[in-house]
Amino acid sequence: MAGMNYFRQKGDAYIFTTSMALILSLGMVVFMIAVILVKGLGFFWPADLVLVEMKDGTRYLGEIRGKAIVRELNEMGEQVKVPEIKLRVGNRDLYGRDFLWVKKGDVLRIVREPDATAFEREEYGVFFGFPVALAGKKGPPDLEAMKEAHRQARKNWREIEKIQGRMNDLLRPISRLYRELSLLESRGGKLSPEEKQRLEDLGRKVDRLEAEIAPAYQQLQMRMETLEARNRQLVVTVQTAEGQAVELPLHRVIRFYQPNRMSVWQKSKYYCGKLWEFVSAGPRESNTEGGVFPAIFGTVLMVMIMSIAVVPFGVLAALYLNEYAPQGPVVRLIRLSVNNLAGVPSIVYGVFGLGFFIYTVGGTIDQLFFRSKLPEPTFGTGGILWASLTLALLTVPVVVVATEEGLLAVPRANREGALALGATKWQMIRKIVIPNATPGILTGLILAISRGAGEVAPLMITGVVKLAPSLPIDGTFPFLHLDRKFMHLGFHIYDVGFQSPNVEAAKPMVYMTALLLITIVVALNLIAIVVRNRLRKRYRTATF
Amino acid sequence: MAQRQDMDIQTGLREVSGTGKKPVFSDVAIETIDLNFFYGPENRALKNISIQIPRRQVTAFIGPSGCGKSTLLRCFNRMNDLIPGAYLTGKVLVDGEDIYREGIRLETLRRRVGMVFQKSNPFPMSIWENVAFGPKVNGERDPAVLEEIVERALRQADLWDEVKDRLHQSALDLSGGQQQRLCIARALANRPEIILMDEPASALDPISTGKIEETITELKKEFTIVIVTHNMQQAARISDYTAFLMMGELVEFDRTDALFTNPREKLTEQYITGRFG
Repeated sequence: MAGMNYFRQKGDAYIFTTSMALILSLGMVVFMIAVILVKGLGFFWPADLVLVEMKDGTRYLGEIRGKAIVRELNEMGEQVKVPEIKLRVGNRDLYGRDFLWVKKGDVLRIVREPDATAFEREEYGVFFGFPVALAGKKGPPDLEAMKEAHRQARKNWREIEKIQGRMNDLLRPISRLYRELSLLESRGGKLSPEEKQRLEDLGRKVDRLEAEIAPAYQQLQMRMETLEARNRQLVVTVQTAEGQAVELPLHRVIRFYQPNRMSVWQKSKYYCGKLWEFVSAGPRESNTEGGVFPAIFGTVLMVMIMSIAVVPFGVLAALYLNEYAPQGPVVRLIRLSVNNLAGVPSIVYGVFGLGFFIYTVGGTIDQLFFRSKLPEPTFGTGGILWASLTLALLTVPVVVVATEEGLLAVPRANREGALALGATKWQMIRKIVIPNATPGILTGLILAISRGAGEVAPLMITGVVKLAPSLPIDGTFPFLHLDRKFMHLGFHIYDVGFQSPNVEAAKPMVYMTALLLITIVVALNLIAIVVRNRLRKRYRTATF
Repeated sequence: MAQRQDMDIQTGLREVSGTGKKPVFSDVAIETIDLNFFYGPENRALKNISIQIPRRQVTAFIGPSGCGKSTLLRCFNRMNDLIPGAYLTGKVLVDGEDIYREGIRLETLRRRVGMVFQKSNPFPMSIWENVAFGPKVNGERDPAVLEEIVERALRQADLWDEVKDRLHQSALDLSGGQQQRLCIARALANRPEIILMDEPASALDPISTGKIEETITELKKEFTIVIVTHNMQQAARISDYTAFLMMGELVEFDRTDALFTNPREKLTEQYITGRFG
């Protein structure tokens, strides 16, 4: 049939298939982002606290966090649908779990008590209850008085922390001596005369230093004890739904609120505060609460160090391959190998990083420069530098390929023009080729960032940890501590979502962290893209 | 063969001797002796070319596409070195010096023998930076000297008045004809002795072409110019001497008026009367 034939020649069916493929891919991306947004962003909204009274007399206080319909068999052996409510009841130290499911049919009634209060604590998560006494004074306390007591307790507590820091500073010079002393003592009597002499000297020195710091140290200790005594008074007594009274020390409470009394405006304020806490504070409760700031910091810093390492390497390699190396089968083979390196599974790079960077390079550095600290490793263990370099290695093929494409795109006319003016080859490369190839180089960087920021597997064996005690940048010399272990958003997702003892509580954190990781990768890419487009405009080729 | 002792009336340049189809000069800028050029062992692009290019004259190379005229031009500043696998035999002398001998510095040669390409190729920089590029890579750092060089070069290329107010804007914003004159100015900034032009006006409209031709006529007072063109009217208008090449061979080389009015070779006559090519 002629008509059928024409239809086939036009290929409408294939065109339809291609458009469907595109729609499907885009749709999946949009769907994924939508799920993350909805599940993640809703988490911080303060839900009302409801008192659920069951028909059997049990009472629960908590937030309604979901509904489900469960299929069960009734007494007759028939399948019936039973609606259930998911309650977040908090009080992990009392109940051992944050969430529970109750059958809707068993509920007698649900009431909203205005006095119901949620306390976010440093430990054991949130506590729901009714405050009944403040600082020993019986009777439901006034909200303002509670706020004032809380402010006081937190202030004291911050001062205590500061004092502890100062006490540690005082002890630091001595603690180094203690270590050497105990090392010498642990060897018993088997010491050379010089070492014996050293031992005696050390003992005297320690005694003298101890005497020196004693007055200041005691003063700090006294102040600390005063503050601690004051905080022992600042306690709120809270009654749970079933009537158990619990004393909460206010200095361990981060914030408290009475959601049933809050207006939408107050709730929004609380929501923004929580969101800010999420991006600016450190994690608590084995990462299931608090913020992810160290992970954001670690991710961004790692990507930056990686970029600093990968760009010069990749560009130089591409320059040699494309401009200087005599083109032939060997160079073709090298180019092919470089391209194939991009396809090596990332965990292989991780193992290489562990073997080469950490054990070989790091171990050697420790032997040469950090001998006194051995056997405790400094660079001979995972750290942000080694993780970044491993990722740089992983992404170098991407930069090489993109840079080569950029170099090939430099118009031949411009190269010849420079040479014809008496420029040497190096002058031509520096003044004409490299500036012209910058957009290509930046494309490589963009691809490297996209790949590097999302990698987790190689990091797990080269320096990422669940909880880093300190950031890789701080106020102590040398400010940038490349040997430190760090946190990473990608690993955070894995850790919180799949290694956490409290999966139910951690789920929203996983969504939020995923959202943040996507945001950061997109933001880093956008910056590079903007820079590249500006350069492109500048180096657009001559047209008539 | 009889010795010829003609005098060029216009220039006073003496043609010392000739074989009947090639003039020989007393003041030679470029000379090739038995030049053969190969793009590969199987691809011989120039065959035994021996030619003398007179100083401070405009010499045009004409011929059908693929006849080797651009190849010959690019032998004079060794731009053909960039082509992988290409090689040549014979000699090319610039001011009597063999430019293919060991130890010659390409940068010095290319500064002395400037080049303007078929397609204008301004660098993606400002107009000023473009013109100053040559002097800068050749070691000139004094800003006052550079200013002077840039202005003189732009004036010589007849571009100064058009661009003096926007020297620091991108050269890529200039029109096609202006870009080509900028490339001429860029070549002039190196103060070369010889300027090679590879079909410099082939991509331009008639008005821009006219301006370029005026510039060339102006420049020959000071520089030796070798120009490749496939436009015979252009060769007749601007050149003093014309060489006709075909299939890699130099068919005829003579004063332009003589070659166009009274060609000695049948091939030349057929070509200029448009019977092939």
